[in-house]
Amino acid sequence: MSSTTAQSGLARARRGLAPGGPGGGSRTHNGGLNRKSKLSGQTKRTFFWLLLPSIVLLVLINGYPLIYAGVQATHDGSLIDTGNFVGVDNFATVLSSPAFWKAAQFTLWFTIVGVFGSWLVGLGLALLLRTKIPAGGTFKVLLLLPWVVPIVVSSTAWNWLVATPDSLIPSIFRNLGLGTPLFLADPHLAAVMVMVFKVWVSFPFMMMMISAALASVDTTVYEAASMDGASKWQQFTQITLPMIARSTYISWILMTIFCVNDFPTIYLLTGGGPVDATTSLVVLAYRSVFQDFQTGPGVAIAFLMTLTLVVVSVFLYRQIRKSSVE
Amino acid sequence: MNVQSEAKRNFSRRGFLGLTAAAAAVPLLAACGGGSSSSSAGGAIKFWDMPWATTAYNDAAKKITDGFSGANSKASYQIIQWNNFYQTFSSAIASKTGPAVSTGGGFQAFQFEQQGQIAYADKVVDALKKNGQFDDFLPGVLEPFKSDKGYVAVPWQLDMRPLWYRKSLFDQAGVAVPTDWPSLLEAGKKLKGIGAVGFATGSGAGNNIGNHLMIMMMINNGGGVFTKDGQLDVMNDRNVEATEFLLELVSNGIIDPAAVSYTSDNLDAQWKNKKAAFGMYVLGVPQRVGDTSGDLMVASPMAGPHGDKATLVFPNNIMMYKNTPSQDASEAFLTYYMGQLKTLWQQKLMNALPVFKSITELPEFASDPNNVKIVKEYQPIAKTFAAQGTSLNANLAVLDGGQALNQFTQTILTGKTDAKSALTAFQSGLQSVLKK
Repeated sequence: MSSTTAQSGLARARRGLAPGGPGGGSRTHNGGLNRKSKLSGQTKRTFFWLLLPSIVLLVLINGYPLIYAGVQATHDGSLIDTGNFVGVDNFATVLSSPAFWKAAQFTLWFTIVGVFGSWLVGLGLALLLRTKIPAGGTFKVLLLLPWVVPIVVSSTAWNWLVATPDSLIPSIFRNLGLGTPLFLADPHLAAVMVMVFKVWVSFPFMMMMISAALASVDTTVYEAASMDGASKWQQFTQITLPMIARSTYISWILMTIFCVNDFPTIYLLTGGGPVDATTSLVVLAYRSVFQDFQTGPGVAIAFLMTLTLVVVSVFLYRQIRKSSVE
Repeated sequence: MNVQSEAKRNFSRRGFLGLTAAAAAVPLLAACGGGSSSSSAGGAIKFWDMPWATTAYNDAAKKITDGFSGANSKASYQIIQWNNFYQTFSSAIASKTGPAVSTGGGFQAFQFEQQGQIAYADKVVDALKKNGQFDDFLPGVLEPFKSDKGYVAVPWQLDMRPLWYRKSLFDQAGVAVPTDWPSLLEAGKKLKGIGAVGFATGSGAGNNIGNHLMIMMMINNGGGVFTKDGQLDVMNDRNVEATEFLLELVSNGIIDPAAVSYTSDNLDAQWKNKKAAFGMYVLGVPQRVGDTSGDLMVASPMAGPHGDKATLVFPNNIMMYKNTPSQDASEAFLTYYMGQLKTLWQQKLMNALPVFKSITELPEFASDPNNVKIVKEYQPIAKTFAAQGTSLNANLAVLDGGQALNQFTQTILTGKTDAKSALTAFQSGLQSVLKK
């Protein structure tokens, strides 16, 4: 079969069409979703009043801390007394600090590796679990453990695995004649170790998201593509990935937020050290407020983080909408 | 009329909305009311205490608290975890739901005094003078708490940083326990030869021992971070000398090259597993690591190159807050509690030195030769973070837990610096966060 035929078969498959023509899927995609529902004025008012208590609660629960944080970020006080108004001085101080940019750089790498590392591992395992392997159920449970085990426990376990020259992993390296790497004492290795730990903690979440998305893909689509001569790689890139794109973008948004806001993974394993090598923005904000007692600059860092997260989330959300339209 | 329409009539949409709004309003109103509640409901003195030792300690402290009845008042006991304790105290004080009396961080009283929240303890000190406890204080433990306005808090235990050694490792290496810096260097090299750590420390997640070691070595050399009048003085010659010596220990492998990442657990394991031969640590190391064979012992204080001898101490204290149902009751409670402290040492619940001479003479305390040595040899030469100064202040909290000291420590322990560069960065880091 020619590649042209395979491509057209894959295109049909992605649209959820069987080789012979439109099937049930066409109704799913086209039937009724574009219909604009018109609500009567009275119904709209009812919805409004029903929603109002929840909206008020949400505004109070989320709005009050946000406003108070805004006040703290523009003042020079403490946690008890907000102090004097200083305008954007705290933001200027933070943005001119090398420590902030170093932490921002680490946060960026930590997030990139955390999101895509855990996604790749999760995707690989989700695909593996889709095949019929012996004791697949047991594997699923075991693979969920890193996500389920409390981070305090897993960080302690990782510490014992790598912290000292006599720990298990450095001992293995030594016995293999590869020297004795100081995984948490060397600034570069510590940064790598924290990212690996994050991937280890996060891949089960990705695996679950992708498994759920894969479960919804009709297997006849693959059969159709196969009949049209598509290779396994073509099926993966042209069917699997597009079909799980929506879940992928959602999981990327969530994992980006998890990574940028992640405090315990870093703080429990390295405390942000050595020499700030693993200090992320959230760790820096914590240290500023609770160790240096610099409330204004610390909250300013948190504000800048939130702003960045909103921008990234909006971008990824647009990608979701785009993938839905496609 | 059918059942459905009857129900519809009885439970209208407006009724439902009203009910929902009312339900939403209840927690809101409750939350609004929270801020104005008194610090101590029902007039009882709220005493907040930290988990200073095992749970048995907190049980005993609660029992003491429950036994208070003075100034027409009672007291309630609350454990506050160390995690985010400053936030816990700050939030509670800001919302006027905080304690009337508390233990806490070593410099916490001065931080809250700066913010106008502390009730001075002069009347408690007067009461201690009357009941004889004032004269029972070990020398120099009360003075650091006296400010221009009065006593900010009252000390109740001393968190000392003595030097410890494992005798069997020194025997194995055939070297004497260090008495000064040159002998530490010599012993460290021989101990390294048998695979032992000559100067154990750690500066990993949540471990402050490395930070304390840096300051201890500075004041052991007659230096320190502050002058007698409390001015920042990081770059003095004694500090440079001490830092150069620490870097020499690192470059010779006498300080473990991985120490920068060691948590308290890692450090405990080194002492327990006969890897650590010598080092500055907390009180009660044998009990802490589960080796009471007598092999782990307190060493005598080392002399610096100029003959100075000093170690670091954190005088932990009990403070009173202005937000109290009765200041008289707060003072009565604190005076009562100070009088009951000995029972904590009698039950061997404390992992710290007492502040009263009479407690150091209790058989339960004096039966441990390490305790006796610490009281006899370390307590008289111990200095606080204030170094050459005598009084404590809020800035010391920034030094103790702040990023500047931690970064300095980790820079030294990685060994990739020189003394003056590291101290310059330390000074500039401190200057940027210290209150003028």
